[in-house]
Amino acid sequence: MNRKRTGIAIGLVLALAFCGAAAAQDTVKIGVVGPRTGPAAATGAAFDEGIKLAVDYVNGKGGVLGKKLEVAFEDTAGAPDKAASGFERLVTRDKVVMVLGESHSSSALAQIEVANRLKVPFVVVEAWADEITAKNYRYVFRAGPSNSGVVNQTIAQWVKAETFKRAYVIAENTDWGIGIGKLTENALAKAGIPYESMITERNSQDHYVELTKIKAFKPDVVLAYIYGVGLHYFVAQAGETGVSPKAVVLDGAGPPSLWPDYWKNVGDYGDLECFVSSMHEKVELTPLAKYFREAYTKKFGKAPTDYKSRSIFDGILIAADAINRAKATDAEKLVEALEKTNLETTRGTAKFGLTKGGPEYHQWMPPMLVIQWQNKQQVVLYPTQAATGKLKR
Amino acid sequence: MISSSKWIGPAVLAGMCLLPLPLGIYPQHVLIVSLFYVMMAASWNLLAGYTGQVSFGHAAMAGIGAYTSGILAAKAGVNPWVGVAAGTLLAALLGLGLGALCLKMGGIYLSLTTLAFSQILHIIIVNEYEVTRGTMGLQVPGLTAEYSKLTYYYILLAATVLVLFILYRMIHSNLGLSFRAVQNDETAARAVGVRVLHLRVLAFTVASAMAGFAGGLYGHYLLLITPEIPSLDLQFYVLAMTVIGGMGSFVGPIVGAFAINILAEKIRDYGEYHVLVFGLIALVVARFAPEGLTGVWRSLGRRRTP
Repeated sequence: MNRKRTGIAIGLVLALAFCGAAAAQDTVKIGVVGPRTGPAAATGAAFDEGIKLAVDYVNGKGGVLGKKLEVAFEDTAGAPDKAASGFERLVTRDKVVMVLGESHSSSALAQIEVANRLKVPFVVVEAWADEITAKNYRYVFRAGPSNSGVVNQTIAQWVKAETFKRAYVIAENTDWGIGIGKLTENALAKAGIPYESMITERNSQDHYVELTKIKAFKPDVVLAYIYGVGLHYFVAQAGETGVSPKAVVLDGAGPPSLWPDYWKNVGDYGDLECFVSSMHEKVELTPLAKYFREAYTKKFGKAPTDYKSRSIFDGILIAADAINRAKATDAEKLVEALEKTNLETTRGTAKFGLTKGGPEYHQWMPPMLVIQWQNKQQVVLYPTQAATGKLKR
Repeated sequence: MISSSKWIGPAVLAGMCLLPLPLGIYPQHVLIVSLFYVMMAASWNLLAGYTGQVSFGHAAMAGIGAYTSGILAAKAGVNPWVGVAAGTLLAALLGLGLGALCLKMGGIYLSLTTLAFSQILHIIIVNEYEVTRGTMGLQVPGLTAEYSKLTYYYILLAATVLVLFILYRMIHSNLGLSFRAVQNDETAARAVGVRVLHLRVLAFTVASAMAGFAGGLYGHYLLLITPEIPSLDLQFYVLAMTVIGGMGSFVGPIVGAFAINILAEKIRDYGEYHVLVFGLIALVVARFAPEGLTGVWRSLGRRRTP
């Protein structure tokens, strides 16, 4: 009898688990994936802010297909397995018609396989590995920077423009880090700039041994590709060991240098650090960028800092525009509409590449800036035509 | 009584075969993951529940199975089924080696040694990223040419039935009696001729092989293997499932695995706090219902029956 009762109990648990009311159909739902927990949880917070502003903006203009736009946000914790299962959950449980977001390349590389298998359009906004679009998947787009774009159009050009003599490349052991590190090495070799490089553990809190090696090489620029609070440890310890300010440290990702706890974690060693970003208060590329800044300040009572809040804002506008033009939520029609995107966003006019064979396929690369902290103020160094000051050492 | 217990097993199995048919992809996914946890919790129960060996290396054995099969398939093009068999064998051999090495110690020393083994393996996987791809995750091919949740469900169901059948036969044999004897009083068991060390090593090897088998299948289902499989998080998850379901009972880990995994899906929107919730449930169960959910169910049955 005990077994019988247990069998019934299992049945009850399963029945309870899977009975649920059907979802309301008066909204069009899209999904966002990104890290709300883990070492880059601040990106999740930035995404949250951007989502709120974008939903207000889109619904204020009539929504999509005459319905309200709704966003379901799934935490990926920066872990590829959680990212893949989170993506699948959004599509199969929440029934989203399109997925956007992500800021970890390893997570995005796991997610594009799911997007391809489930045939759901996926617009990556802040995962940079070239392979994401180089695989030429029909359902995968990127409205954001790519490793090759950031290196060849911005970082390598800046290194040449500042006439640095010796460079050190330190990259975390992720798809983004290893990929962008290798591209940087190629660009430095091509420019004839002597360099050395090393790979570091993504979550390491102790960089002293690595910094000793870096110091021995005597570089005048250190290109650090470490995402998350690990970057804070690196910057602080570079200052402690005297690597900086002798050598200029560039945060090759950007957002960690803009997170609220940056100054608390790095102290005065954070000054004169450089970072890449697609946002600066004095460089507004479109009227929408101005709108974003004002709406953000009004809603959150502070100025926007992490540019990823604006990246996801743009991504949602691109998605809403595609759904409205497709006049449907069918994946094939959405892909066709996305391919014809020609939309003004906060970072310029979004338009996806259609040439197959390389990472340019389904890729739109927004312009990036190199910015330096000078007395806790952001000074744009590159591109020179947008510069608001000169490099300080 | 005997006749009712005869049909309950086939009836549950028939129900499990029919269960995913009306369900969507998402609930099917939850069931597949639950079946993986049933294999993990039931095999860990053989160690902790039947022979009193609290091992923290069970998730590591699943990792051995997953990475062996995954690396063979992704890097050498080996058929995933052959890879799963190789992973199972390697996990069994490591279980045998680790068991022979540290089971003489018993008690807390066994727990510490398996904990150290688990951590060492985790560090190796994370740092040897050129082979394992570390935290980036190793993408592996599926077990079948066409990816279908329903196919994976039936594969995992068949694997779970196989694991449970072996465990059931072991537990309900003279071997099972010896396991119980060792757990209840090691000295008394030895005095009546039970070969304590041999029994423990055997249980450790069988449980490790089962974990390796489950890990191998799970990796090919996910199509992505990460250090999350051989992690302490997964280990404690399996532990919580066994304790909450009912350690030392055959049905306990099965109930625990389904209940906890489905509950986890329900409360996952609370992010990291769901781990805290599990901890609290495990504590409450350990204090007020040491025999787990199945123990509560049995005692309710006893009260109702005059």
